[in-house]
Amino acid sequence: MTGTIFVIQLLNALFYAAVLFLIAAGLSLIYGVMRIVNLAHGSLYALGAYVTAWAVGGAVGAAVAGTLGQIGLFLLLPIGAIAVGVLGAVIEPTLLRPLYRRSEEYHLLITFGLLMIIEDMLKLIFGGTPLTASNIMDGLGSISVGALPYPTYNLLVIAIGVAAAVGLWWFVYRTKFGVILRAISQDRRMAAALGINVGRVYVQAFAIGCFITGLGGAIVVPAQAAVLGMGVEWLIVAFVVVVIGGLGSLEGALVGALIVGIAHVAGIQFFAEIELAVLYLIATVVLMVRPTGLFGRA
Amino acid sequence: MLEIKAIDTFRGPAHILNGVSLRVDRQEVVCLVGRNGAGKTTTIESIMGFLPVRAGQIVFHDEDVTSLPPHERAKRGIGYSPEDCGVFPELSVAENLMISRWLGDEVVRRRNGGPRPDPEAQAFELFPEVKNLLQRQGLHLSGGQRKMVAIARAIMLSPTLLLLDEAFEGLAPVVVNRFIDAVMKIKAMGISILMAESHLGAATRIGDRLYAIDRGEIIFHGPPKDALADEKVVKALRG
Repeated sequence: MTGTIFVIQLLNALFYAAVLFLIAAGLSLIYGVMRIVNLAHGSLYALGAYVTAWAVGGAVGAAVAGTLGQIGLFLLLPIGAIAVGVLGAVIEPTLLRPLYRRSEEYHLLITFGLLMIIEDMLKLIFGGTPLTASNIMDGLGSISVGALPYPTYNLLVIAIGVAAAVGLWWFVYRTKFGVILRAISQDRRMAAALGINVGRVYVQAFAIGCFITGLGGAIVVPAQAAVLGMGVEWLIVAFVVVVIGGLGSLEGALVGALIVGIAHVAGIQFFAEIELAVLYLIATVVLMVRPTGLFGRA
Repeated sequence: MLEIKAIDTFRGPAHILNGVSLRVDRQEVVCLVGRNGAGKTTTIESIMGFLPVRAGQIVFHDEDVTSLPPHERAKRGIGYSPEDCGVFPELSVAENLMISRWLGDEVVRRRNGGPRPDPEAQAFELFPEVKNLLQRQGLHLSGGQRKMVAIARAIMLSPTLLLLDEAFEGLAPVVVNRFIDAVMKIKAMGISILMAESHLGAATRIGDRLYAIDRGEIIFHGPPKDALADEKVVKALRG
């Protein structure tokens, strides 16, 4: 492998890891605070992708893209994330809250049901044709890596992933709301006894977790089309990430995403036939050696 | 200030409290004594709102709080230090205290809007050693340190009533004296205290009044010295 190919594959791995991190971080934030394994996360990611693709496509189709310019199209990017965040703020109090006192099987059942419902709603609303927001990617052009072109937009996605990791760390460990989130995740009864409205924080945490995942979908759609089934596909890989990193840990989501991102790209480069098997092998080894993941708590 | 009127509380299917009534007045230390399993913690948790009350009423500052959730009771000025201390293990002591300080502003605003006594000064006056623990994680505190942090944290909420569940349990006799001093200082700050306590001796040293509970029913109410002389109370506590 030449130096140029190595750099391009490294960037591809970071691109993949950036998107995976956003999905896994949302999943971990929700689990960390509320102890809910949200299987609907995959379809929420897909919803973020579809809404952004729909908004960008609509702007281009209505010929307002020229008026909006490239910056205007960029501003449409977070629409998918906002839509998913708002949906999360509706889902938590209506569908999840009545089940907190029940065992985990009920959480899995309701979130799996939601996964299916949202998938079908996507099919109903957006149809079976893949949607794309490639105008954003095309508008940014490419840079040269050695003698080969590389999409500039991919670098932007990596930058968003890095910014999200730093921003989330700051949010959780350096803000008042972050301290409250961590307190609730450790002892919600005591948090309530200190005057914290746990129900309200749950809605906010769930909405933030959904927003982050929706952002993952929104930033991937200029590079990859929004297609039916993408939610389940990414959800499975996101679970590999959290199994490796430890469910409930932001650091784990970051390290897990980097490991999976590099293993995924290396797998495609060197042993494409068993690329997925390699990911599961890594997850299996981590589970055997450290069942709570690299950064997980017992 | 606090009046519990004939409450019935269940834990799952088990009927734990049966018509429990008690009262705590302003700037008063009231002890609720009883054996393990008598219903002390259930009474405290009913007041805090963790367990729903099936019958009866809980009135705090002339307001019926029976159906309010725990966080609303805290905002009305009920501080709480549970039996297991409830110190957040992965937060630093500073972060544990910070939460109360933030929310204490709302407690004072709701009460009268007047100036708030410096919550940190109050907490450190009780337990100066907590100052040296600020950067330590809750996980790495000893049992006595956890109890100090739990009480300091409850005080930083600027409550008018403090619920202490087994505050002296597991402490060495010399440390118990420190905690008794702290309870007296809290009372001098104008804060009323309701303590659940297993040991009649400790309760009689600090309580202005005393309730004895056995099998979910109040079997005695009066001055501590009378409790010591009451054969029924002593027998119920010894088992």
